[in-house]
Amino acid sequence: MGDFIVGKRTFLNTFLRSHWPALGGLLFYLLVGFAAFFSLLLYSSPVEWAGYLQEPYLWRLIRFSFLQALLSTLISIALAIPVASCLYHRHFWGRRFLLNLFAVSMVVPAIIAILGIVMVYGSNGVFSGVADVFGLYGLFGILLAHVFFNMPLAVRLILQVYQMIPDAQWRLANQFGFGRWYAFKIIEWHYIRKALPGAFVLIFMLCFSSFAVVLSLGGGPKSSTLEVAIYQALRFDFDIAKASFLSLLQVCICSVVAWCVYRYSPVLSQDVSLIEGQRSQFKGGRLSLLIDVLACLMALLLMVPPFLAIFTPVFSALFWTTLLDDALWHAVMVSLKIALPSALLSLLLAVCVVSLARSSLFSLRYAKWSFRLEQMGNLVLMVPSIVLATGLFLILRNLGVGFGYTFWVVVWVNAVMALPFVIRSIAPVFYQYEKRYQFLYESLGIKGWQRFKLEWPYTRSGLAQGIAYALVLSLGDMGVVALFGSQDLLSLPLYLFQLIGSYRIEQGACVAIVLLLLCLICFYLTNRIIGGKIARI
Amino acid sequence: MSFKKTLLTAFSASVMLVTASSAVAASTLNVYTYDSFASDWGPGPKIKTKFEAQCDCTLNYVTLDSSVGILSRVQLEGLSSSADVVLGLDLNVMEAAKKTGLLAEHAVDTSNVNVAGGWSDKYFVPFDQGYFAFIYNSEAMAQPPKSLKEVVENKDLRVIYQDPRTSTPGLGLLLWMKSVYGDSADQAWETLASHTVTVTKGWYDAYSLFLKGEADVVLSYTTSPAYHVVAEGETKYKAAPASEGFYPQVEVAATLKNAPNKALAQQFMSFILTSEFQNTVATGNWMLPVIDDVNELPEIFSQLQQPTKVLTLPANDVAEHRKAWINEWLNATTR
Repeated sequence: MGDFIVGKRTFLNTFLRSHWPALGGLLFYLLVGFAAFFSLLLYSSPVEWAGYLQEPYLWRLIRFSFLQALLSTLISIALAIPVASCLYHRHFWGRRFLLNLFAVSMVVPAIIAILGIVMVYGSNGVFSGVADVFGLYGLFGILLAHVFFNMPLAVRLILQVYQMIPDAQWRLANQFGFGRWYAFKIIEWHYIRKALPGAFVLIFMLCFSSFAVVLSLGGGPKSSTLEVAIYQALRFDFDIAKASFLSLLQVCICSVVAWCVYRYSPVLSQDVSLIEGQRSQFKGGRLSLLIDVLACLMALLLMVPPFLAIFTPVFSALFWTTLLDDALWHAVMVSLKIALPSALLSLLLAVCVVSLARSSLFSLRYAKWSFRLEQMGNLVLMVPSIVLATGLFLILRNLGVGFGYTFWVVVWVNAVMALPFVIRSIAPVFYQYEKRYQFLYESLGIKGWQRFKLEWPYTRSGLAQGIAYALVLSLGDMGVVALFGSQDLLSLPLYLFQLIGSYRIEQGACVAIVLLLLCLICFYLTNRIIGGKIARI
Repeated sequence: MSFKKTLLTAFSASVMLVTASSAVAASTLNVYTYDSFASDWGPGPKIKTKFEAQCDCTLNYVTLDSSVGILSRVQLEGLSSSADVVLGLDLNVMEAAKKTGLLAEHAVDTSNVNVAGGWSDKYFVPFDQGYFAFIYNSEAMAQPPKSLKEVVENKDLRVIYQDPRTSTPGLGLLLWMKSVYGDSADQAWETLASHTVTVTKGWYDAYSLFLKGEADVVLSYTTSPAYHVVAEGETKYKAAPASEGFYPQVEVAATLKNAPNKALAQQFMSFILTSEFQNTVATGNWMLPVIDDVNELPEIFSQLQQPTKVLTLPANDVAEHRKAWINEWLNATTR
C-alpha cells in the first residue's frame, strides 16, 4: 500500500515536471470552455424549462435533429466501407484522383458545397429532376450535403485503420488463397469494426450540430435543428435563457450518444510493424469488381458535379467584375486574419493534448487517461460553436471588455472547433514515436522542447496536416462569424452565405471559386512549407 | 526550410495580419440598419450624402440582415455597443426594444408626423410607413385573391412569406392573421402551410423567389408595384386587395443611452423628420413618407391599393403575446 502511494507520487511528480506547459495549455482550454458554458448557465432560468419542454415544436426539432444526423451518418459510413476497401486493394488509373478529390472535399468549406449542391440539384440544375421528387430544401438536401462531406471523412478514417493491419496478415491471406470477400470478412472487417464507433460518433456529432447546411438547405422551420434554433434564439430573440436551455439539451444528447457508442466499442490497439512489404493484389471475382466499380462511380457522381457547377461562371464577365470588387478582397483579408492565428492556436492546443495523452498511453496504470484526454479534445463537438462563442462573449461582457474583442472570440472558437481534427492528424505519428523510443528518451533524459525538435523531421508532416486542416476549417467556418459578423467582420463564407441568401447564385459561384482557391493554396502551402518534401497531402 | 525558420515565418505572418487594422474617423455617426436600406439601390447612400453635408461628420451604416437582428445585435453588444442610432425596427418590436433599457429618449418635435393615430412616443421617431399586402403577377393571374382569407384558403395558390421570427413583414403577417382570425389563427396557419412554397428569412429573398416565378403571391407592401413602374417601367405586378382591411407598418428609429456620439445622434433624429430625409423614402425604400411636407410622389403612388380599412392590434397586446403567437405559428406550420 505504502509502495503504491510512493509510486503514484513519483510518477505524478515527474509527470508534472516534464509536462507542465502542456498541462497548462490543456487546463486553460478546459477552463475557458467550462467558463463559457457556465456563463450561459448563469443566464438560464430553470423555472422556464418546464414551459420549453411542453412546446411540441421543441420535440419536432429534436426528432428532426436526430433523424438527419443518424441517416447522414449511416449513409456516409455504409458508402465509405466499399469505397475504402476498393481504394486499398486496387491500384487503378484514377485512384489518385479519387483520393485527392476526397482530400479536397474534406477541406472544402461547407458553404461552397452547399452552393454547388444548389447549382446541381436546384431548380435550374442538371439533376433538378432528383430534387423535384424529394424536394431539395429539407431533409433530402441536408442528407445530400452531409454525405458529400462525411463520406470522404469516413473513407479516410477507415483507410487509417487499414494502415494498422500487419503485412503478415496479408501475406498469410495470400498463401491461403483468400478472395476479396474472405479477406474482407476475416481481416478487414475486424479492423474496420474498431474504427466504426469513433467514426460514427465523430460524424454524428458533426451532422447533429451542423449549422451552415441546415440553415441554407433546411428551407424554413419544418426541417430545422437544435443548432439552428440556438442561433435563432440568440441572434433574433436574444433569449439567452432559451438558448442556454437548448444548448444544454444539445450537449446532453450528444454526450449520451457518445457514451452509448463508446460503451460498446472495441479498443483500438496500435500495431508496431511499420514495414511496408510488397502486397500482391487479391484475386477478385466478377462480383467484387462490380461492387468496386459501382462504389467508385457512386463516389464520383456524388462528389464531382457540385465542383464542376461552381466553376461554370469562370469565363463569364461577371467573374471579372466580382474579382474587381473591393468587398471580396476585404472578405479575403478578414478570413485570413481569423484563420491564421486560429490555426496556430489550434495546433498548440492539439500538441498539448497529444503530448499529455501519449505520456500516459503506455503506462499500465494510466493508460485510460490517454483516451480520456483525447476525448477532452473531442468534447467541443458536443458543445455547439455558437454556444461556446456566446458564452465567451458574455464572460467578456461581464468583465466589461468591449465588443471589439469578438474577433478574438471568433479566433478562439474556430481554434477549438478544429481541435478534434488536428488531434486526429497528429496523434498517430506522436504515439508511434512514443511507443518506439519512449525508453530511449527517458534514459537519455530528453524531453519537452528538445524532444519536439528531435522528432520534428518525422512529425512535421502530421503537424502540417493538422495545421492545414485547422486553417481551412477556420477559413470556411460560418457558424461563429454568422453570430458576430458585421461589415467589419465579414468573412468570405459569410459573404457567400449572404449572396446565396439573396439568390445571387452566379455571383456566389465567383466568390466560391476564390474561397476554394484560397483554401487549396493555404492547404497546399502549409503542407509543403511545414510538412517538407515528404508531406502526405 | 529549417524548423526555426518555419516557425518564424508562420508567427510573423500571423502577427502582421492581426495588427493590420483600419483607422476610424474622429466623429463618426454609427447607424445600425437592415441591409436593403443601406444598399446601393436603397435610400441609404442619398441620406448619407445629405446628412454629411450639414453635420461635418461621417455617417457610417452598420448593416444587419434583418430588422429583428438590429435589436438583438444591440443587446448582444450591450454597454459596449458603438451604435448611435438604430434605424429599421418597427411598431411591433418597439415595446420589446424599450424593455432592454438601452434606448435614450429623443427631443425631436414629432407634431408634423402624419401616421394613423398620431405619434407621441418618447423613444422612437417614425421614418416611413406602409401597408402589408400580397403581390401577384396580373399577367399570370386573372383572378387575384380579394382578401386575406382567400390567400389562406385557396389551396391552389403557391404562397411565399417571411419568417415572423426574423423579419418585420413576417411578423406583420402574423399580426394580420391574428387580427383577422383571432383564436382560430392556428387552423388558418395550418391551411396556409399546406400550400406555402417556403418561409424565407427576410423580405429580399422572398421577393426574389417570387420574381423568378416560384410562387403566385408573395408578402410585401402595397407600395411594391410602384417600384416596378418607376424603376423598370413594368406594370404587371399588383397588390391584391384585402376586404378585411390592411395591416400597417411604421418603421422607426431611436438613439441609444450609451451612444458614443449623443449630439450627432440627436441631430440625426431631427433630420429624419425633415423633408430632405423624407423625400428619399418613397423612391428609395419604396414606402410612404411620414410627413406631409414632401415633394409630390410619382403618379403611380395614387393608383396603388388604398386601404379601405386598417387593422391594428394594441401595442401592449403585441408585446405581451408575440412569443406565444410565434409559437402558435411554429406549431401549426410544422405539424
